[in-house]
Amino acid sequence: MIELKNVTKLYGKVIGVNDFTLTLEAGAYGLLGPNGAGKSTLLNLITGQLQPTLGSVRVLGRSPRNHAELFRHLGYCPGGEGMYSEVSGYDWVCYLQRLQGMSAKQSRIAATSSLELVGMSSAMNRPISSYSRGMRQRTKLAQAIAHNPDFLILDEPFNGLDPIGRHELTTVLLDWIGLGKSLLFASHLLHEIESITQSFLLICGGRLLASGTAEEVHTMMVGLPNEVAIRTESPYELASRLMQEHVAESVTVKGEIVTISTRNPAVLYEKLPAWLQDWGLAVSEMRSADESLQALFNSLMKMHRGEL
Amino acid sequence: MIGSVLAVFCFEWKRSFTWPRMMWWLVLMCFPIFIMGLVRYNALNAISASDRSQEAFLTGWLVLCAWLLFALIPMLVAMLGTLLWTTPAISAELERKSWIYLAVRPHGSLSVVIGKYLTAVTWVFPPAILGLTIAVLLAGLSTWTEVGRVWWTMLRLVLLSVPAYGAIYLLIGVLLPRRAMTFAVAYTLIFELVISFVPAVINKLTVQYRLRSLLVEWCELSLIGPNGRPLSTSLTVIGTEPAWQHVLILMAMSIGLVGLSVVVLKSREFSSSAESET
Repeated sequence: MIELKNVTKLYGKVIGVNDFTLTLEAGAYGLLGPNGAGKSTLLNLITGQLQPTLGSVRVLGRSPRNHAELFRHLGYCPGGEGMYSEVSGYDWVCYLQRLQGMSAKQSRIAATSSLELVGMSSAMNRPISSYSRGMRQRTKLAQAIAHNPDFLILDEPFNGLDPIGRHELTTVLLDWIGLGKSLLFASHLLHEIESITQSFLLICGGRLLASGTAEEVHTMMVGLPNEVAIRTESPYELASRLMQEHVAESVTVKGEIVTISTRNPAVLYEKLPAWLQDWGLAVSEMRSADESLQALFNSLMKMHRGEL
Repeated sequence: MIGSVLAVFCFEWKRSFTWPRMMWWLVLMCFPIFIMGLVRYNALNAISASDRSQEAFLTGWLVLCAWLLFALIPMLVAMLGTLLWTTPAISAELERKSWIYLAVRPHGSLSVVIGKYLTAVTWVFPPAILGLTIAVLLAGLSTWTEVGRVWWTMLRLVLLSVPAYGAIYLLIGVLLPRRAMTFAVAYTLIFELVISFVPAVINKLTVQYRLRSLLVEWCELSLIGPNGRPLSTSLTVIGTEPAWQHVLILMAMSIGLVGLSVVVLKSREFSSSAESET
């Protein structure tokens, strides 16, 4: 479905995407990367809004640049807002469906049903300027799915949504995938993507660092140093005890925070509660670096550079 | 694709019914009427009734009214109206970051450019034609034949100038979206208001030269200067080519520049990335 061969995109001297090679068959994929990783540039290359400086991009077998036929099968929900504040959500979605090639009547039907699907029925005739951020996100999603595309690209679609909204949109997207349609979902939050799909593309610094299922990514991480930060009133005692237990590669103390670098976090998590009880130490906060996406990316970047 | 162009056209027309835009619409319509009224009032006060009925005055008054109406409507109203609505056609979408929604539609960018151009042109026609009609009636020309001739000439000039200026400003907007207004104003001042009066071949590239030549021909204005020599041969700011040639060039220019805007737009990259336009 999507094929990128050695794609590099330069903005002057700034690299947006760096030597990116990827082949994706039809399915649901999560594009995961921190802010500034090159996700939007990659999506712009896939939707033909940008032309690669080097390499080639093929979507459905053809270059996506000025590819009218591709746009009939593509739904795109960009990261930015960019809506006309003075018109209603309904008018805006209708208008975009007219541009999709629908008749006025078809566009009205499509806009109504898609806005209903994303839970915007009651507010769809209000001006967009009166919408909350979550309502705008829903309306953006409605314009992307209204023409029933085969391939949906979403850039940070959960931004600004409350937990109920997230849950509702997750259900909509899971139903979408259930219909056998394809989805590329970009986000900088792991849990957002995990709720939709188990197929990941990890991107950072404009490079594809890893791809596969969540399990495969975790398997790759086995043996890599993980950082765990623990807040305690006796940081030096805790640091000393942990070193004696041989679970830490290194320990750093800063104020009340003990930062432990470990190659076997599972053992640490398993045994730490008992140890703390035995040692009589109280811990008020513990943050696992395994949950920190940036740490994961840092490790992958180091792997990519051959530093690990 | 025609349906998409029509959709943009209808949508943009609907969006243009806002107070600021309606105020601009009224200003464009009323300004030539106001100026014409002032000139007429001044003439009535300054010249006695007996002098006003003399042949020399009537001929001079017709020439004055024709040039004044030309400056006000096919020049000013057409330029200002199209400058305001076609120049930001693309840059406004880019600034609002709404371009991406339009560009990922089949023939989206093309439909938006053509649809917005047609909207701007049809938006400028009504105030220009209404203003023209009232201003001509207010001018106090001596016969209805003169009124009809001036009105018909100006109407044809409006129908040619609005699409031509619209196409020029559209192309400027597509080529230089970040500073579209600045470049459009600079183009107008340098090319249409200065270079068009330069007595050299370069003035033939301007819309003004064509419109001016058509005005003289269609309004049958005298080009004999005080020294008895034809002004056009001494200054070459008014063309001696046949009218059909000017009309054809203006129409070709309008269509060609809109086509060029589409080609340029298709080859350019506008993205929603932080780095944006390249």
